[in-house]
Amino acid sequence: MSHYCLETQAISHHYSSKAMVLDRLDLKVPTGSIFGFLGPNGAGKTTTLRLVLGLLKKQQGNIVFFGRPFEPNRVDILKRVGSLIESPSIYGHLSAVDNLRLLQRVYHCPEERIALVLELTGLADTGRKKAGQFSLGMKQRLGMAIALLNEPELLILDEPTNGLDPAGIIELRDLLKTLNRERGVTILVSSHLLAEMQRLVTHTAIIHKGKLLYQGTLAELKRSQQTTDLETIFINLTKS
Amino acid sequence: MNTFIYSFQSEWIKKKGSAAAWLTLIGGCFVPAIILFIRMYEWEGLSVANQNPHIWEMLYNRNWEFMGIFLLPLGVILVTSLVTQLEFRNNTWKQLYTTPQSLTTIFLAKLAVILILLAEFFLIFNIGIVLTGVLPALFFKGVPLPAEPFPLTSYMKGNAKFFLDCLPIVALQYLVSLRYRNFLVPLGIGLGLYVASMIAVHWKYGYLFPYTYCAYNFMPRAGELKNKDSIHLLALGYTIALLGVSYILYISKKEKG
Repeated sequence: MSHYCLETQAISHHYSSKAMVLDRLDLKVPTGSIFGFLGPNGAGKTTTLRLVLGLLKKQQGNIVFFGRPFEPNRVDILKRVGSLIESPSIYGHLSAVDNLRLLQRVYHCPEERIALVLELTGLADTGRKKAGQFSLGMKQRLGMAIALLNEPELLILDEPTNGLDPAGIIELRDLLKTLNRERGVTILVSSHLLAEMQRLVTHTAIIHKGKLLYQGTLAELKRSQQTTDLETIFINLTKS
Repeated sequence: MNTFIYSFQSEWIKKKGSAAAWLTLIGGCFVPAIILFIRMYEWEGLSVANQNPHIWEMLYNRNWEFMGIFLLPLGVILVTSLVTQLEFRNNTWKQLYTTPQSLTTIFLAKLAVILILLAEFFLIFNIGIVLTGVLPALFFKGVPLPAEPFPLTSYMKGNAKFFLDCLPIVALQYLVSLRYRNFLVPLGIGLGLYVASMIAVHWKYGYLFPYTYCAYNFMPRAGELKNKDSIHLLALGYTIALLGVSYILYISKKEKG
């Protein structure tokens, strides 16, 4: 078993403008960690997550999940991964149950998972209400339910707290911690909310202008920067 | 094969309550409902009409005349575009591409949904034609049921021709609608090509326009084509070629979702 759930090996990416968005990024997400992927707007976080999930065509470098290269093993790997990238992907004309049912068919997971993930995300009472009528927070919860449906070994979440109220953020944090602690789910999460990340993650990577500035445990980062405040560390690193 | 079936089931759930599903239902009923209304409004002549030995052929031609030339191509343009539009509108392509299924499976499952919706549309339409013949006899005293036995085989053959003839429209619309986020682009291209084809239908090379094939079923000739039935082969050829191009463009997309 690989020590890392996900590794990117020198991946680089540029859009048509030719400006480099990612520059030889070597990301290593340890198995069993809650890995905070941090960086200012436009740093390349979402591009990285889209690349590793195959939503963008890889230009340079390698992507390895569970010790296996992604492209030749795409289908097998995606069976073990759950994701929520940017805004949640939800069919507005369908109920929460139908949104999950159509994915349950594809993942071929037990039907009971639908009720379970709805319960976990606090959407059990939505009944036949169409997802298009959900509040932003409810949509985000449904996006989380979708990501959890196939009991993933690795969860990839891009700004999962978007649209959640403070209580929702705390619930999500507790849920992610529980999944990590009790079920061993590795979580790769990108966020702008540094205070929230500080409470959640065990490991972190800081990216700026497509380059990796730091990667390792949160404790080591705090020790090396001689401060416990992630915001200060983040500003110091990205400024320098 | 199992993966394809699960993928198809998933795609089928998506169309539940969607505009494409409603359009299929309403579009299939539309022409028969109007013809039924007209027949019932003019019920005095129905007794003679229903005893005509070619009543089913008359009803078939009357219904298909409007459907084949006008509504079927438009319906196909709309339904095909709406099925793919579901993913664009809901921003769900990215979720779909992170599910454990190959791009080929996704491509074929969506296409299968469109084709099954088309078959459903034909079924509803044909049930509608049968009802235009049968219902007046149940409502009006003295109006008999159609005297002619229902010509199932010739109906099936006729339907098969129309089905085949509208497949190039499905293929081209599928190609365009998979590429453009804006619903108006595939719709505009579809309508533009349809209008161009209707103008070209009397031209000697009109058979080169795949959107003309449904209309040729009601014309004695298909331009300068020696054998009119060749349009069905042309339709098949266009369909295979366009689906091939569509598939290649689809899997080679740099950005997915």
